[in-house]
Amino acid sequence: MKTSEPTDDAELVRRTLEGEESAFGALVRRYQRAAYAVAVSVTGRHEDAEDAAQEAFLVALKRLEECRAPDRFGGWLMTIVRNRARNLVRRENLRDMDPMPLGARSTTRPPDRSTEDAEMRALLERALAELPEVQREIVLLHDMEGWKHREIAERLGLPAGTVRSHLHFARKALRKVLEPMRDPSAGRKAR
Amino acid sequence: MTRSWPEGIGSGSPAEEPEIDAHVVEALRALDPCSADEGYWSRFRAAVLRRAAPELARRRLAARVTVAEVLASWARTVVPTALLAAAIAGVVLMKAREAPAPRPVDVEEMLVAGMEGSSIPATLGGEGTDAGAVTFAMGTF
Repeated sequence: MKTSEPTDDAELVRRTLEGEESAFGALVRRYQRAAYAVAVSVTGRHEDAEDAAQEAFLVALKRLEECRAPDRFGGWLMTIVRNRARNLVRRENLRDMDPMPLGARSTTRPPDRSTEDAEMRALLERALAELPEVQREIVLLHDMEGWKHREIAERLGLPAGTVRSHLHFARKALRKVLEPMRDPSAGRKAR
Repeated sequence: MTRSWPEGIGSGSPAEEPEIDAHVVEALRALDPCSADEGYWSRFRAAVLRRAAPELARRRLAARVTVAEVLASWARTVVPTALLAAAIAGVVLMKAREAPAPRPVDVEEMLVAGMEGSSIPATLGGEGTDAGAVTFAMGTF
C-alpha cells in the first residue's frame, strides 16, 4: 500500500535492520527496476541482470550495517548491483572462454508480444552494446526508469552536467539506430 | 502496428537535451521485462523476499533480545560460576580454621629457643636459696 509506505529510505533501512519484512519489501519495490536497469547495462542479458539484481538485494540486506548513509541507500545499492553484475560477466566469460560483446549474446527473456517488439529489442540491445557502460546506465535509469538528472548524479556520484552530457550522447546514438523504426517505409527500404 | 514518435527531438548540445525524449523512452520500454510479462516485478520481489527470509528472521530475533534477556543469559553462566567459587572459598576457610593458632612467644623465649642449658637464673631469691640473701647468677654471696 502506497499510503502506509514511508518515503524515507533511512526509515525503511532502520526497520529492515530490525528484520521487518514489509520495510525490506518496500525497498525492493522502490529499487528493483533501477537495480535491473543498472544490471542489464552491465550484463546485456536479461537472466544475468535478473540474477545480479536479486543477489544485490540479498547482499545489501546482509551488509546493511555497512550502509553508512541510510538516506542514500539507493546509491549504495546500485554500487552493489554494478559489482555483482561485473563479477557475473567475468565469471561467465571465464567459463565460456568466449567473451562475446554485449548484445551479441543469446537472450532468453519472457516471450515478446509481437515481432515488432522483438525487432525493437534486438536493435536496442545492439545499440546499447555500442555505448560505454556509464552511458548505458544513465540512459536506462533516465529513460527507462524515469530517474531525474539530480537523482542519477547523486546516486552515481557524478556531477549533474556530466550526467546530462552522457545522456545526450547515449540518446544521440540510440536515435541514430532507431531512426529506421520511426519511418517504417524507410526501414523496409533499408532492409 | 507502427510506432510514432514526436518530431523535433533535439540532437544539438548536451545543454539543449530535452528532459524527456519520448522517442527513446518509448523504444526502451521494450527492454522492460514487464512489457512482456505484467506480473514480472511482483514475482521478482517475491523471489527476493523468499531468499531474504532467513536473514530477516535472524534480524528479528536479534532485535527482540532485551537488556533483561541479555542479563538473564549472562546469569545462566555467572550464577553457577559464583556458586562454585563460594564453595571453594568455604572449603579453604574451613581447612584454615582446623590448623592450631600460633602460641604467643615472649622475647626471652625467642632468644633461648633451641639453646642447650638452663635459662638465665632469677636475680632474686627463689626456692632453695637462703632467705634474705641476694642471689646473683649462680653464686651466693
